[in-house]
Amino acid sequence: MYAVLAMIAGIALGVILEPTVPVALQPYLPIAVVAALDAVFGGIRARLDGIFDDKQFVISFVSNVLVAALIVYLGDQLGVGGQLSTGVVVVLGVRIFGNVAAIRRHLFKA
Amino acid sequence: MSDGGSGPTRPTRPSGSTESSESSGSTGPTRSTRRPETGLLGDPMSAPEQSVDFLTELFRHPLDAGYSDAAAARERIGEPTVRLRRSGFVLRTLTLVATGLLLVVAYQQTVAAEPEAAKTRASLVQDVTARQAETDAQQRQAEALRNEAAKLRDAIVGPNASALDQAEARTGLGAVTGAGAVVTLASGPAPTNPVTGQEQANDQGHIVDFDLQVISNELWRDGAEAISINGQRLIATSTIRAAGSAILVDLAPLSEPYVIQAVGPPTMTGALTKSAVGNFYDYLATTYGVHFSVRSTSDLTLPAAADPGLRYATPLTAPSAPTTRSPATTESPRSTPPEGGP
Repeated sequence: MYAVLAMIAGIALGVILEPTVPVALQPYLPIAVVAALDAVFGGIRARLDGIFDDKQFVISFVSNVLVAALIVYLGDQLGVGGQLSTGVVVVLGVRIFGNVAAIRRHLFKA
Repeated sequence: MSDGGSGPTRPTRPSGSTESSESSGSTGPTRSTRRPETGLLGDPMSAPEQSVDFLTELFRHPLDAGYSDAAAARERIGEPTVRLRRSGFVLRTLTLVATGLLLVVAYQQTVAAEPEAAKTRASLVQDVTARQAETDAQQRQAEALRNEAAKLRDAIVGPNASALDQAEARTGLGAVTGAGAVVTLASGPAPTNPVTGQEQANDQGHIVDFDLQVISNELWRDGAEAISINGQRLIATSTIRAAGSAILVDLAPLSEPYVIQAVGPPTMTGALTKSAVGNFYDYLATTYGVHFSVRSTSDLTLPAAADPGLRYATPLTAPSAPTTRSPATTESPRSTPPEGGP
C-alpha cells in the first residue's frame, strides 16, 4: 500500500524536521487537519467503491484545506471565528462519519 | 488503484435507485447524460431526493460527487494514459505525505502549546517571587538605615531623645517591643455544593478586609499602642483595603492566615474577647468554621512602618538643600543603587 507508506513518510518527515508553524497560521491548523481527514476518508471510500480518482483526491484535499482555512479566516475577521470553526468541524465531521460508515460497510458488510 | 473496479457495482448515490433497472455497468454514462436535466438544481440528484433537506442529504451521501463523475468520465473517454496515471500517482503520494505532515505538525503544536503556557506561568511566578525578595531586602535595608539614623539623631538630640522615641513609637515610625495580644484570623472552609461538590459562591466564612478593620479598631479601642498585621505596621494613615480577593495593608498584599499583633496593656486580650467584636468572631468561628484565636504574649516586636514621607512640609534651609536636607535625602541616595541595580 503506497498510500499508507506515503502517509508514514509524511509523519516521519514531520517528526524529523519538526517544522514550526507561524503564529498567524496556528488557528487554522486544527481545521486544516479535519479538512484533510475528510479528504482522506473520502478517498478511501472512493477506493473501496472502485471509483478512486487521483485528480479528484488531490483537488478535494487542497480545496478542503483551503476553503476550511478561508472560512475560519473570514469568521475571525467578522468576529464569529469560533462559531464558524464549529460549523466547519460539524460539517466535515458529519462527512467523515458518513464516509467511515460506508468504509465500514465495505469492510465488514455491516 | 484507479482502475479495476471502475464499473461501479455499488451505486453511491440515489441516482442509482432510479436507474436500478439499468445494468450496473452502464450506470456511469447514464448518470453523466442525465446531468444536464438536473444541472440547474446544482446537484445531480434524482427527483425524489431533491426535497430532502440539506443535513439529511449530508448524512446520506457524504462522498464527493466528483469521484463518481470522474469514474463516469473514465468510462466514457477510456483509461488515462500512462503518463497521466504516473503524474496522478505522484500527486496522490505528495498529498498523502502532506496529510501525514499535517497530522504530525498539528500534534506537535498541540503538545507544545501546553508546556508553553505552563512555562510562561512559571516564569511569571519566578518574576514575582524575585521581585518580592528584592522588596523585602530593600525594606530591611531601609529599616537598618533608619535605625542608624535614629541612633545618630539620638546622639545629637541628647536628653530629649527618649521623648522623641516615644513619639516615634506612637506614630509608627519606630519599632516597638512589649507585651500584648496576638489575634490569628483565617478563613473557614468554603461551603461546597452537596450535589456537585463545587465550591459555592456565597462564602460566609471568607475573611475580608472589613474583618481586619473591625478587629484592629477594636484593638485600638482596647488600648493598643501599636498594631501590625502580618508584619505591616499600622499608622494613622494606614489603609486596609480589598483588591479583588486580596487584602492590602498600605498597598502590601497579605495572605492567610492573618496575624494581628498588638502591643498594649495586659487587659487588652480580655477586653477583646469580651467585646462585641470578639463575640461576633466567636460566633463566626462556630458557625462558619472561621479560625479566630486571641492569646496574650509578653514579648512582641513590631516593625516600624514604611516612612510616609513629608507631604506638605519642606526643610527651612531651602537654598542649600542638597547638603543640609540630611534626614530625608541622605537615605534616598544610599538606597537608590540597589533599586536601580537589578
